Amino acid sequence: MITFSIDGREVQSPENLMLVDAAKYGDVEIPVFCYEPKLGNPVGACRMCLVEIEGIPKLQTGCSTPVKDGMVVHTQNTRVHEAQEAVVEFLLINHPLDCPVCDKGGECPLQDISFGWGGGRSRFIEPKRHFQKPLELSPLIAIDRERCILCYRCVRYSQEVAEDYQLVLQERGAASYVATFDGHPYVAPFSGNIIELCPVGALTSRPYRFRARPWDIEGSGSVCTMCPGQCNVTFTVRDDRVLRVLQRDNAEVDDGWLCDRGRFAYQAIHVDERVTSPMVRGQDGQLVPVSWDRALSEAAAGLTAAGSAVGALAGSGTTNEEGFLVQRIVREALGSRDLDSQRAPVSRDALLAISDPALQATVPDLEFAHAVLVLDTEPVDDMAILDLRIRKGVRRNHVKLAIASARPSSLDANAAASVRFAPGAGPAFAAELVSAAKGEPSSDDARSIVALLREAGEDVVILASERVGVALAALADALGLRDRAGAGLLVVPSSANGRGLREVGFLPDAGPGLSPVAEPGRHAGQIAEAAATGDITALWLLGIDPLRDLPYRLRWEQALSRAATVIAHTNFLTEGIRDHATVVFPAEAYAEKDGTLTHPDGRLQRVRPAIGHSGAGRYGWQVLTDLGTRVGLHVPRVLTSGIALAQLAQAVPFYAGITQDEIGGRGIRWQERPAASAFPAPAPASVNVSPAPRVGPSAPASGLRLGTFRSIWASPEVEHSPALAFLRPRQKIEMAPSDADRLGLGDGQRVLVSNNGTQVSATVALRQAIPAGSVFLQDGLAEDSANVLTGSIVEVRRA
Amino acid sequence: MAEVRRFEHGSRVPGWDASVDLRKDPAGVPDPATTPVPAELRAEIEAQMAKYPDFRSAALPALAAVQRHHGWCSPEGIEQAACVMRLTPGYLTAVATFYDMFDTVPTGRNRVYVCTNISCSLRGADELCHRIEQLTADDADIQVKHFECLGACDIAPMVSVNGIYVGPVELDEVDELIDDVRNDRDPLPRKQLRLRPSADTLPMGDGQ
Amino acid sequence: MNKLLFKDIDEPGLNTIDVYRRRGGYEQLRRALSMPREAVLNELLASGLRGRGGAGFAMGKKISFLPKGALDIYLCCNADESEPGTFKDRELMQKNPHMLIEGIIIAAYAAGANKSFIYIRGEYVLQADILDAAVLEAERAGFLGENILGSDHRLSLVVHRGAGAYICGEETALLDSLEGKRGNPRLKPPFPANQGLYQGPTLINNVETLATVPAIMGMGGDAYAKLGTETSTGTKLVSVSGHVKRPGNYEIELGVSSREIIYGLAGGPPEGRSVKLWFPGGSSSPVLTGDDLDLAYDFDTMAKAGSMLGSGAIIVVDDQTSVVDVAYKTAYFYRHESCGKCTPCREGTNWTVKMLERMKAGEATPMDLDIIASVCDNIIGHCLCVLGDAMAMPVGSMVAKFRDEFEEYIEARRQESYLGTADPEPELALIQGAVA
Ligand SMILES: Cc1cc2nc3c(=O)[nH]c(=O)nc-3n(C[C@H](O)[C@H](O)[C@H](O)COP(=O)(O)O)c2cc1C
Ligand code: SF4
Ligand code: SF4
Ligand code: SF4
Ligand code: FES
Ligand code: FES
Repeated sequence: MITFSIDGREVQSPENLMLVDAAKYGDVEIPVFCYEPKLGNPVGACRMCLVEIEGIPKLQTGCSTPVKDGMVVHTQNTRVHEAQEAVVEFLLINHPLDCPVCDKGGECPLQDISFGWGGGRSRFIEPKRHFQKPLELSPLIAIDRERCILCYRCVRYSQEVAEDYQLVLQERGAASYVATFDGHPYVAPFSGNIIELCPVGALTSRPYRFRARPWDIEGSGSVCTMCPGQCNVTFTVRDDRVLRVLQRDNAEVDDGWLCDRGRFAYQAIHVDERVTSPMVRGQDGQLVPVSWDRALSEAAAGLTAAGSAVGALAGSGTTNEEGFLVQRIVREALGSRDLDSQRAPVSRDALLAISDPALQATVPDLEFAHAVLVLDTEPVDDMAILDLRIRKGVRRNHVKLAIASARPSSLDANAAASVRFAPGAGPAFAAELVSAAKGEPSSDDARSIVALLREAGEDVVILASERVGVALAALADALGLRDRAGAGLLVVPSSANGRGLREVGFLPDAGPGLSPVAEPGRHAGQIAEAAATGDITALWLLGIDPLRDLPYRLRWEQALSRAATVIAHTNFLTEGIRDHATVVFPAEAYAEKDGTLTHPDGRLQRVRPAIGHSGAGRYGWQVLTDLGTRVGLHVPRVLTSGIALAQLAQAVPFYAGITQDEIGGRGIRWQERPAASAFPAPAPASVNVSPAPRVGPSAPASGLRLGTFRSIWASPEVEHSPALAFLRPRQKIEMAPSDADRLGLGDGQRVLVSNNGTQVSATVALRQAIPAGSVFLQDGLAEDSANVLTGSIVEVRRA
Repeated sequence: MAEVRRFEHGSRVPGWDASVDLRKDPAGVPDPATTPVPAELRAEIEAQMAKYPDFRSAALPALAAVQRHHGWCSPEGIEQAACVMRLTPGYLTAVATFYDMFDTVPTGRNRVYVCTNISCSLRGADELCHRIEQLTADDADIQVKHFECLGACDIAPMVSVNGIYVGPVELDEVDELIDDVRNDRDPLPRKQLRLRPSADTLPMGDGQ
Repeated sequence: MNKLLFKDIDEPGLNTIDVYRRRGGYEQLRRALSMPREAVLNELLASGLRGRGGAGFAMGKKISFLPKGALDIYLCCNADESEPGTFKDRELMQKNPHMLIEGIIIAAYAAGANKSFIYIRGEYVLQADILDAAVLEAERAGFLGENILGSDHRLSLVVHRGAGAYICGEETALLDSLEGKRGNPRLKPPFPANQGLYQGPTLINNVETLATVPAIMGMGGDAYAKLGTETSTGTKLVSVSGHVKRPGNYEIELGVSSREIIYGLAGGPPEGRSVKLWFPGGSSSPVLTGDDLDLAYDFDTMAKAGSMLGSGAIIVVDDQTSVVDVAYKTAYFYRHESCGKCTPCREGTNWTVKMLERMKAGEATPMDLDIIASVCDNIIGHCLCVLGDAMAMPVGSMVAKFRDEFEEYIEARRQESYLGTADPEPELALIQGAVA
């Protein structure tokens, strides 16, 4: 702490804070427009923050002057007032001052600063500039160039945070304006953040425009449940409807940004297609709305009839409490062992190894590590918000980034090294890395990556897909990451609350707290098989539609058709549910939910209801307790979400004692609580990895190797949000130009991709970076989804 | 009323009324697989990139190459340069529009820059410019631009013809000058700056 | 007078390495490389050479600010020369490019730089071509590259062509532009000496400054310091233009009288006319009047007179010219060249031009002069770089020094305009109300 003087008062603040921030320690506000530390170094463009510092003749910008001990600063003398008034006057000369019809009105920094620091008069009598407005900048964002004060925030964001370099300033001087290349729309996974950054009404959200005034709305904090990123959000609520989603800056989670799915998919809350009432399949085979009582008793009957032949699956935003209740019902009341929350099976031993608190990295570690290895995952698709965090680390802290993946990554350009392996060879490559790290014989690629990580320094964070499995723990150990603060593993689960679901026991081979089970049950793939053959007769689906979300679509179609009872908790009638569910419960939208989630780095976060339930909706834990009671689960009644949490905290030793209050608005990592010591020790043998022979990305003898991925835009919420619908992915096959040449195919051509008698149609997308011999298709689509195909080698031919 | 300068689409600043075309795809870094680049252009840009510790420094030379190649910094040309440099075309557009010498709208093959800054205007540049503009008004081959001080006020009023400085240009020489331009001749050879001796070495009193 | 920069400037073939060397070229480089770096720097410090690009900062001192150590140090020669009225670097580069290159190599040696760039404005096609050829010659002769003349000094030199933007002459904008960006100035600190090109320590000097270095090495820093005045040492190229009989570049010893330059060398305004006002240091310098002609032409005297020596470009305006036109041209230039990054410059230059346009259209009142003066005041000292000030200072000085003429002009134009025929009262009231 240092002491400096501001407006005649001694104030203490940390040294080297920028004056505008240091001034707050003395309750002095210095107005700013362009200053936004999240965008990188200050640029000093707007000149709003001029202050006088004794000993320096010129006024200085408070946003870029670090405070020093003994500094004497004035913000309230005539000289500074005149400068501030001058800047406000300059900013307003060409500003339309159309506040009455401006979406920003009432929450506009320009209004506030004009009022607080402006001279309250104008001497500008020339005609103001007038332009057409608002104009489209993208389907999501409108731009009003008359209002722009050229603060550079949006373009700095595009260049220095999202690094998409799409939004730029053109021309110069008073003619400068914010625009894109040749009239292309500004569409990027994180474009919406510029709306919140803009200090005036120049960039507005098209879905939100004119929906409300600041005095009509209330803000309500919660968490986005659309991907494992679990960004903190504030819902803007008017008349019990969510009209907007804003960031709720949490440096431990999201760093104050949101992806466009998280920002705009709230629209899917208030669409007619949403399931808002319980339904059962009637005599005519159609789903018809029924009372809760009827739906609950049909579901209970179906479950009871099936008994131990029930298979349960959970995904997307299913909370810890819901997952916990369901696993109890399945295990304790129905006597089944068949439940799973993972897309591909990872054994309990492996999970224990990779979830070991001694190996866990946090999200901010990505930013401050010496090196980050991204292994077999594409952050922007799998855990979107981390994409920005990784870029930030590389840009600001010179983190060395290494990428090992089958499909080219959007982070390749930032990486010090990128290597490719064949689709599906992630675990094998990880094993190679382990060998390389131990100095055993390994591939060149693996050795070069390990050398890069070692050279960068000791703090290495490995961001990897959960499917890589146990080798991750071995790799972390071989790199010496155990017990190292700021280093370790960050494992991306296959669904938004994947970590929470497995820690509350939604696994075939582990109970609550990853406790051992007497006899393991079936994992998702085996559940499909068992249902298809009739060994499982009831399927219970929480936030998951196997036809969309899981591999082997045809197998699942057989399974769903054959099962006598299919119970689904869902927001939308996606194919599998529409065609096969026998009982449908309305799931809650995330703005209606009450519960907790566990972030991939172990942070428990609260999802809090911002609005009441649509239609006949009910709290998930309430529905599940009712159902539990009906199938004979004998537990104390759950009357509130707090009780639900308390029950689960009792069952999960390393969550012991956690309460909603403790989680609070920012969440808390369980590894940082004393109870963390109760985490079960992994079986020592489990970290032994035998390197499997790896398949290189080279071309197979015949056909093409198929890789799949799920785009950030492949989700029912995107499909059902009118504003986002334009992003709904259509199947395309990404292929190397050399393969396309060989097959006589060109960019944009329609093709059929087939194997083992299955086929999907797709459009060719040529990409230089795709390794020859491999092609990539998307999963999670409504039509032509890659999970229709059953093998790893495909034929491609013109449609 | 004061004359308000307006461009053809009704506003005073080009581009400000331009909306995006929602049918277009977002413009990321162009994929080499789908962006053909003429071999010479690629070679030129790559050679420039090799000259600097950071390849981005080649942005200006690359845009100059695009302009030589395509006649102006066309969207197609900018995409090609962006593809070679692994930048977005937006980045290069931002750069191109900042500098006066890059044309981001199609323009005549001959670039005639008439200086109308202080020293030249003191010596009649405004009339000169007006005259040149009149004479070339319907010649699509010639771009006439008012330019700020071109650093040759000693030959005011002066004109740069495709980079060749000539001056002082008398009003009655304009016809000849433009004729030279039209016929790809050396512009007003007797008035070219490169031939001019230094004023410092001339004997006193030899001014014009 | 002793010519250092313009010695035999029109010698045929001086731009080739053969002629340059025949006349003793690159000998100073040889001598410098045989001395320790510090000794070379000491000569530069002793010479008192002040930067010729505009700010007049001592060159030796700037070099001594560079951090020592293993970092890559860069040298950028500022050949953007876009300050209206300035054309001295052009003639130097065109006619004696090797003197500049030799100066760059010596300065780089003193600074410990091994990568150098000449940022030349894109309009100077001929000069850039000549430089390119000269750099090639110097490389072939072993003056550039590794182990220059057998020493451990190495240096690369790239001629980088700009593309038409005055602001790229501002040193930090130059760096951004050289890095392939829009030429926006950067916040200072950090100063280029600490974090310049590619974030490395960088020395930036004007062409003339660097071209003087071989001469200083030749005669010794102390001898150089004896030329000129105590605080403005040496000789200076002055570009004289506007209403003079013999516009051109003249090499003078700093401290000669301004009258000697304007009348003696450049021949003064045409017969029968007198000097109404003159810019002593390019269009960015506050104007002086005919009364100031006997001031000595050096850094301090000009500063004391409320103006500045700037780039050493004298623009002479005679008594037949309206000061409003000059003010308008000046403001128009800066509006065109403002990079747009900071508010006071971007909006202030635009507003000033609009007010002057209104004057020319006969729609202004004397009140507008107060507003112009106030707008200029509001720009000065509030901008990110000094381009804003560079408009506000000369325009403000014109309004202050020629207020009567402005008022007459306004009235005369108003009479000619539609307002002259109508009853002006309501309009005026409106405008006054707005001024309050
Ligand atoms: C708007 C502006 C334009 C400038 N233009 C030039 C220029 O064209 N040439 C130049 O040498 N310096 C120019 N300068 C000065 C440079 O910023 C810098 O001070 C100079 O290059 C340093 O070199 P010197 O110390 O040798 O003079 C300009 C400064 C400003 C603020
Ligand atoms: S659009 Fe908004 S954020 Fe972007 S420069 Fe203008 S005012 Fe700033
Ligand atoms: S990154 Fe994930 S959690 Fe964050 S806003 Fe986007 S979808 Fe929601
Ligand atoms: S003063 Fe003008 S040129 Fe300088 S940074 Fe500001 S806007 Fe740009
Ligand atoms: S906030 Fe400091 S200059 Fe903009
Ligand atoms: S004013 Fe025309 S060249 Fe300088």
